[in-house]
Amino acid sequence: MKTRLNMAKIARGLGARRRGKVAASGGYFGAMQLLADIEARFRVPTGGGRPTDPHWTERRLVPLAPQTIKRLEELTAKVREHGGVNLEPMQLAALLLEKTTEHLREDEAQEIVHPKRRAIR
Amino acid sequence: MADKRTKARTKERRTLAGGRKRVLVVLFIPSVERDGSTAIDQQRWVDAALEMFGRVFGGATAFPKAKGIWRDDERGGALVKDEPVVVHCYTTPADIENVRNLAELGRFCRKMGSEAHQGEIGLVVGDEYFAIQDFAEE
Repeated sequence: MKTRLNMAKIARGLGARRRGKVAASGGYFGAMQLLADIEARFRVPTGGGRPTDPHWTERRLVPLAPQTIKRLEELTAKVREHGGVNLEPMQLAALLLEKTTEHLREDEAQEIVHPKRRAIR
Repeated sequence: MADKRTKARTKERRTLAGGRKRVLVVLFIPSVERDGSTAIDQQRWVDAALEMFGRVFGGATAFPKAKGIWRDDERGGALVKDEPVVVHCYTTPADIENVRNLAELGRFCRKMGSEAHQGEIGLVVGDEYFAIQDFAEE
């Protein structure tokens, strides 16, 4: 029987950030395989800088409303406080963009860009 | 009589469910600082990790160091060599979810991260990778 661990509780207790699933197995070869997997997927940039997702290679200058920045700052402050994760507001913005674009349908995008006018009585 | 046996078996099953060491915790002990070239006192951290795992979770195994190399594209494709040591510790679900044990494990990782000048300390618990990046004492 496989017990489900409370990973959120473990992350909180450690003061760590959950970075993703791995296939961990015992023994020397399991250890070496896991090490290779982690080195390939979760590499910390050397020579300074914050650990980041190696797939985020593109940079764009995006104008934002002050209230959007303020909200991102508030949210990251809460994440830092509760999750022990050292996250920057624009890293959160990148995560939100990634998640939203993965799930957004074309008609939903149209609706965001050109919202239908509601009938006014 | 049969009732007693059923009760005993249920109790035994409960004990096994909480007591068997089937959660694998893996800690990576780096060989160099985050600049990729300054060596750290790796043996000291391996010994300290084994001592901590032994005291808190009842035991651990450090595997001989692995040799690794990777290309740092952010520094013009410089090749960085490292030789991390992997420490394995089998524990119980109850022990790994224990707040005091987690605090002690977290404290050790932050101390190693801070004193060995790391960008991140990596830990695997079960099938998930955890990263500790903020080394400030809590």
